[in-house]
Amino acid sequence: MTTSAPDRVEPRGQVALVDLLDRLLGAGVVLAGDVTISLAGVDLVQVRLHALITSVRAEMRAAPMLGNAPAEGVESGDG
Amino acid sequence: MADRARYLYAVTRGVTTADLAGRTGLDDAPLEVVPHRGLDAVVSDVDLDEFDEDALRKNLEDLAWLERVARGHDDVVRAVAELGPTAPLRLATVCLADAGVRRRLDEWHDGLVAALDRVEGRAEWSVKVVERDRAPATSGGERGDSTSPGAGAAYLLRKRQETEQRAQDEDAALRRADDVYHGLAEVAVAGRRLRPQDARLSGLTGTMTLNAAFLVDDEDADKFAGVAQELAGAAEGAEVLVAGPWPPYSFATLEEA
Repeated sequence: MTTSAPDRVEPRGQVALVDLLDRLLGAGVVLAGDVTISLAGVDLVQVRLHALITSVRAEMRAAPMLGNAPAEGVESGDG
Repeated sequence: MADRARYLYAVTRGVTTADLAGRTGLDDAPLEVVPHRGLDAVVSDVDLDEFDEDALRKNLEDLAWLERVARGHDDVVRAVAELGPTAPLRLATVCLADAGVRRRLDEWHDGLVAALDRVEGRAEWSVKVVERDRAPATSGGERGDSTSPGAGAAYLLRKRQETEQRAQDEDAALRRADDVYHGLAEVAVAGRRLRPQDARLSGLTGTMTLNAAFLVDDEDADKFAGVAQELAGAAEGAEVLVAGPWPPYSFATLEEA
């Protein structure tokens, strides 16, 4: 009844942005380039989180009716 | 005119600039290969005033910029992965000139060779487990008898039962996630658990309990999908989302020196 198949086997197509950022910022070969030295490692993950949370906040402000988002949470920055 | 720099997408081997003829990277700049000691770095020119340190700090905060660059980077990595074993580089790895690219290939030579050996003939698959939202247990408030004798005790009892039920549900959900992870790890070369994504970012309804990446032999891809299907059938109450094959982003890591 409630068994589920992997019903979303995506083709070799576009990766969701959040999955891509998981990997492009949190994984991959990390070589310190000439200009990114201080952005390597953990710093980048922080940058990512900041960017995403900022954008989510902006979206929620722009579209307050689109809410399956919880009422608490986003602004508290505990994610 | 702005200074140019070299943006690095991936390291591979057995690939030449000619193999990438006609393909472009960020800002439609042609892709080139910088070969060095048996390794091939795929690069293209970018403007330094978009990719120097100050600009990056600002641009990485701009989701539209981040998406454009991430998609552009991924497009190139995928194209390279069609040609040879591929170690994708982290986003926004920039060198000032080819000499800098070669210096990195030198410095990390053995680690890069090991990473390419590890991912050759294999691809990354993403597997997520998302618990469907349950109807919350009936909570107080729908009956108007809260002032009747014993209402306080009944309330406390109900609260305790709800708490216990929630703990049991959480244990069951974690077990389901573990079962899927360990079941798939058996048909994969390697597995990693990434941090589960927030529903606001993933756009999925429900609670993500597993966000895993697996490195799978190309010839085992069907077997992997079959096992995923079986495990999905067993994970009642949860959805199992499988995506791939992707370039081996999560597995082309360099060993700590």
